[in-house]
Amino acid sequence: MIFMVTIGLEVHVQLMTETKLFCSCSNKFTTIPNTHVCETCLGMPGSKPRLNKKAVEQAIKIGLALNCKINHEMFFSRKSYFYPDMSKNFQITQYEMPICFDGFLELNGRKIRIRRIQMEEDPARLIHEGAIEKAKNVLVDYNRSGTPLCEIVTEPDFTSPQEARLFLQELSLMLEYLGVYDPNTEGSIRVDANISLPKGKRVEVKNVSGFKEVERAFSYEIIRQSSLLKRGQKIVMETRGWNAESGTTISLRSKETEDDYGYIFETDLPTVEVSKKAMELKYGMPEFAKQKVERYEREFRIGREMALSIVSEPDIADAFETAVKEIDTHISATFFSKMLKKVLNYENLRLKQTGLETKWLITIMKKLENKEITDRAAELLLRDMVLKPQDPEILLKLRGLTRIDTEEALDPIVLNVLSKNSLAIIDYKHGKPESLEFLVGQVMRATQGRADPVITRKVIHKRLDE
Amino acid sequence: MTKYTMSVKEFLEESRKGNINFLDFAAALLEETQKLNKKFQLLREICDIRDRLYLNPPLNGLPISVKDCICVKGVQSYAGSKILEGYIPTFDATCVDRLKDNGVTILGKTNQDEFGFGTFSTNSGFEVPKNPLDPLRSCGGSSGGAAGLVAALDYPHVALAQSTGGSISAPAAFCGVVGITPTYGLVSRYGLIDYANSLDKIGVIGKSVHDVALILSIISGKDEKDQTSIGEKKDYSKDLSSTKDLKGVKIAVPKEYFQNLEEEVEKEVWNAIKKMESNGATYEKVSLKNTKYGVAAYYIIATAEASTNLAKYCGMRYGMHGKLEGNFNEYFSTVRTSGLTEEAKRRIILGTFTRMAGYRDAYYLKAMKIRTLIIEEHKNIFKKFDVIASPSMPIQPPKFKEIKKLTPVENYQMDFLTIPANLAGMPHLSVPVAKKTPIGLHLTADHLSEDKLFKIGSVFEKVR
Repeated sequence: MIFMVTIGLEVHVQLMTETKLFCSCSNKFTTIPNTHVCETCLGMPGSKPRLNKKAVEQAIKIGLALNCKINHEMFFSRKSYFYPDMSKNFQITQYEMPICFDGFLELNGRKIRIRRIQMEEDPARLIHEGAIEKAKNVLVDYNRSGTPLCEIVTEPDFTSPQEARLFLQELSLMLEYLGVYDPNTEGSIRVDANISLPKGKRVEVKNVSGFKEVERAFSYEIIRQSSLLKRGQKIVMETRGWNAESGTTISLRSKETEDDYGYIFETDLPTVEVSKKAMELKYGMPEFAKQKVERYEREFRIGREMALSIVSEPDIADAFETAVKEIDTHISATFFSKMLKKVLNYENLRLKQTGLETKWLITIMKKLENKEITDRAAELLLRDMVLKPQDPEILLKLRGLTRIDTEEALDPIVLNVLSKNSLAIIDYKHGKPESLEFLVGQVMRATQGRADPVITRKVIHKRLDE
Repeated sequence: MTKYTMSVKEFLEESRKGNINFLDFAAALLEETQKLNKKFQLLREICDIRDRLYLNPPLNGLPISVKDCICVKGVQSYAGSKILEGYIPTFDATCVDRLKDNGVTILGKTNQDEFGFGTFSTNSGFEVPKNPLDPLRSCGGSSGGAAGLVAALDYPHVALAQSTGGSISAPAAFCGVVGITPTYGLVSRYGLIDYANSLDKIGVIGKSVHDVALILSIISGKDEKDQTSIGEKKDYSKDLSSTKDLKGVKIAVPKEYFQNLEEEVEKEVWNAIKKMESNGATYEKVSLKNTKYGVAAYYIIATAEASTNLAKYCGMRYGMHGKLEGNFNEYFSTVRTSGLTEEAKRRIILGTFTRMAGYRDAYYLKAMKIRTLIIEEHKNIFKKFDVIASPSMPIQPPKFKEIKKLTPVENYQMDFLTIPANLAGMPHLSVPVAKKTPIGLHLTADHLSEDKLFKIGSVFEKVR
């Protein structure tokens, strides 16, 4: 039995501003709890919010990138509910007049509709010591309180968890190109979803972080709901939480009726005109991944796969665009899309996090271009450099990774390898050509990849044919 | 009479000449304040004045009292509520900060109704202030302590007060002193413990129009910490004495404001209007048709906002704490049940109700529309007139035992004269019809026309 599933998302994105949404506390992440706080984000009596203009600009940019209409004016509202992570027991958010509405994001030729984008403040972070069910105490860290959030609400346009995941990946990359969010900060993108099956009720799954987790959580929830239906049981309208450890969703509260948050206007903040700023920002939008891929194919004549790999991180695309000005297009495209990506993926890092300078990468590419180092040596250099950013020139000298490409230099190494591998020599003499490649590999190993493979083969041939 | 019995004007003159020994002055002031407080319960906190002297010009250490709901760094702020017991603000309200910069002595925090919820200062988590003109009667509220202290203290002194629906005019009238409630936004609300954000205004109570104009000049004007604040710096006290008569002043007298009044009040306020007329002003009877909706609209908006503002008091980060028992909902409820008075609870329930889904359109949003109509109605009047004149309060200060008999609705109805100007965010001045008389002449002007009120008010002070 195949179920037609309907999924709608509410995506919360933490904006990358210098200061918080309603006060001048730093919005940078810190591990020391309750240090980026003031009377406003702590909700002290007498404090007042004041709106961060930069956050408004970032929200407008997101709206423009998602093809939204931008409201002429916007204002804030108070959403009231009691919870220990709330500094005021109401959240300043948007209700009647959000900043943007009616947009879409194209996903494999299909339009995912965006209902609205609203600005709001993030609550504090609750830390349960041990598991949430067992914890005796809960600690509150107000560093997160007042972090600017953009909530992107989609229409229920997704038909599978995979599609939702793909949407989030596309959205994340788009936001990164806009320079409004940092994908490396934990919890910088959090997802609530409404999932429903035909003849079922709408179930909300709250607070899932990470794209893989989204797919897992939604898949679990669909299986849970469909097996209930198969057994003839009813699905209740409820809110469920995702427990990543057990891989299950757990019921948080049933929703007999719609939540009533008693919205009123936030009259501490005046109405803000946004349309003028939107007109201004419209002309400064960056080139996004999709446009870049098309341009790379056209301008640099590189394959789609390679182009997609390069644009998968704005910093890589930037570095590539700088490099092609002085390096052969094919060499640099291969370098970024294959070699660098491989090393980064292995360490599970993004280029931005490594502190690698583009000029260092260009140095390596130049050496590859001039055949001073081998591909293998370049990769070894990169492996060291992503963990400890440093100038490859110095590293090369330290590690002695320059190419060995003269017969005189390779000859003693080849002799040494041959003396230890008599079996391979016999195989070779009995007409097994693959043993030659084995011997080349041994020379590579002995030289840590510095040996030029063509010259090495030539020297081995010479010696074996003697 | 003490050697420091003098007006603010005289004090500024004497202190500039160096004729005042501040340590002696402070000690005498402290003693006198404590003595009065024992008698009338006007202050919640009396500061150790010697730690809070700012003697620089232009105010040279002029004593200022601060309504309890306005934050002073390092001084307990209860806003009249037990639930804030232990809350010591880490920052100064902008108005306090500006006064300190201009050299004042912070005397203490004055008693009030809890969070401003009242007309008689009887809805307090603490002691109820008594009217210095007659201790069996109310000071008015919610800035009762502020007005009472101005009336009782024979020293040069001005009080910072605050109004949401009439909390400056009511006590100023009842205590026979002057109160200015400025245009909404003219004084930064930064540091004010909220009652209803779209209505709250910090203002001044003093012995004379000059005194309140002087202090308003210092505390008013745009402040980046409150994005609803407006206005330029302006010296309101400068040309006051040069205005001699009321020639050309056009006064509107709304007939709706002269209904259901105590006889004595009606008579005295008409006398006051006639005195203004004989000094050059002209008056005309007008109608403000939406007056009858004022009280209802006000109590819907004010309680809706208040119910969200009070949500933060839950015993978690500041103020009263309870025994940690049960889940967070149970704990919050325990603290709120014991920390808030009946009137606060009533307003939370009312306000929560009027903003609930299903009722929001019928109450909260409709009240907002009425508010717009009231603003328009006032704007129309000010196309033709300079000020609206009325009594400040429909009655003279009631006895405490009379107040006890009032139902909540009768109680709320007492604000019908002050509510329209507060809903419209328009400045209003209450001036006693005669010296130390607990009946106020209420003058309302258009937005940002405080100077007009002060000029008319100071002439009236001379001719009354």
